[in-house]
Amino acid sequence: MMKNLLEFMGVEPDRIHFSWISSAESTKFVEVVNKITAKVKAIGPNQRFVKQAAKVA
Amino acid sequence: MSEWEPKIVSFLCNWCSYGAADLAGVSRMQYAPNIRVVRIPCTGRMSPKFALAALREGADAVWVSG
Amino acid sequence: MSTYTDTMRETARRLLQECKVELVIGFRRGSRPMMNEPCLVRKPEDADQLVWDSNCGINLANYLTNRKEKIGIFAKGCDSRNIVTHILENKVQRDQLTVIGVPCLGMIDKRKIAAATEGEILEVTENGDTITVKTAAGEKQFAKAEVMQQNCSVCTHRNPVIHDEMIADPVPEQTDVDPYADVAAIDAMDLEERWAYFDDLLDPCIRCYACRNACPLCYCPTCFVDESKPQWVGKGQDAMDVRTFHFLRAYHCAGRCTDCGACERACPVGINMRLLTKKLNKDCKELYDWEAGLSLDKRPALDSYQANDPENFIK
Repeated sequence: MMKNLLEFMGVEPDRIHFSWISSAESTKFVEVVNKITAKVKAIGPNQRFVKQAAKVA
Repeated sequence: MSEWEPKIVSFLCNWCSYGAADLAGVSRMQYAPNIRVVRIPCTGRMSPKFALAALREGADAVWVSG
Repeated sequence: MSTYTDTMRETARRLLQECKVELVIGFRRGSRPMMNEPCLVRKPEDADQLVWDSNCGINLANYLTNRKEKIGIFAKGCDSRNIVTHILENKVQRDQLTVIGVPCLGMIDKRKIAAATEGEILEVTENGDTITVKTAAGEKQFAKAEVMQQNCSVCTHRNPVIHDEMIADPVPEQTDVDPYADVAAIDAMDLEERWAYFDDLLDPCIRCYACRNACPLCYCPTCFVDESKPQWVGKGQDAMDVRTFHFLRAYHCAGRCTDCGACERACPVGINMRLLTKKLNKDCKELYDWEAGLSLDKRPALDSYQANDPENFIK
């Protein structure tokens, strides 16, 4: 539901991921890390929802 | 800087994915170095505030894993 | 609906005289037109303050939180659903309450009237479906449907879901409306358009938190916006802070919001932040077949687990 609302406000769906990995599934862990990294690389740096540091004059 | 690398803030459950990450480590498995791990006591500790806080501070993605 | 007033006064007086309740929560006339204000009546002789017309849009369930007295409360459809939510969340007990049901035909939107008239509004009267507005410039008449709050015009729960007494016979429910048409319009946009749309929508926000205060669901002793260690969201008007605030405020209402419209009504700059809560309502309906506050026996969608809960977002 949270993901849906973020998308509703215009955040790319690949910015947030959920998964289920048991403590014995190290291979799945590695697989998921690589998959997510590839996906995020594909959409590029986050431009949205980032709070710009306050500009001090 | 040669190429942009994403920062992925990962919220891992102590008992599940954090264990898996540990096991991957002791098994000397190779994986992408882009994740920054935050260990949470249980995925039930996760709150939408955390995910937003990560994005606001400049994370490129958030990953929650139980 | 203004014909309810006499019955309401009688009911309130009777309940107070019989000592069934210690106070009655209702509305009295506000100091300006279309601004009826909530009032707590504790003495039978004060019951004559009570009024009812199409300007009673404030959600009275907001005034129940953590009260210990025996209370009589007037409840429209949406109020009654919020009362149910309050009971489920242990903010008030069912046996404390005497719910006096008020079938509702919709509340009028003071902004629509202000936009359609010129000069200061001196008096607003209603007769059935006709609203007569007297301004410094003259008199104007509206059909009620034209100036109704948007959430009321798509409301499908006009009659109270729980009540101990009723002020009048139930009104027919609307069945041919699509409550989520505006949400669907945004769903049809692409990501860029959505982002820009919400930039425009939230731009005027002055962070007064009137939407939070008017909402019966927002009763946390310390709201996340007031926390400073850690500070989840900045307090200024930075566009990202405003967005974070509205996102989290809406999200806290997920599965609880009854779309009573109190937030939008309270907003001094007229932001339709209901879009966000409505999106969540729509998702709740589609994913969990859940609508907030319809029954005292069912646990809310987000605090119960069922084996068939959707999980396709988990990899």
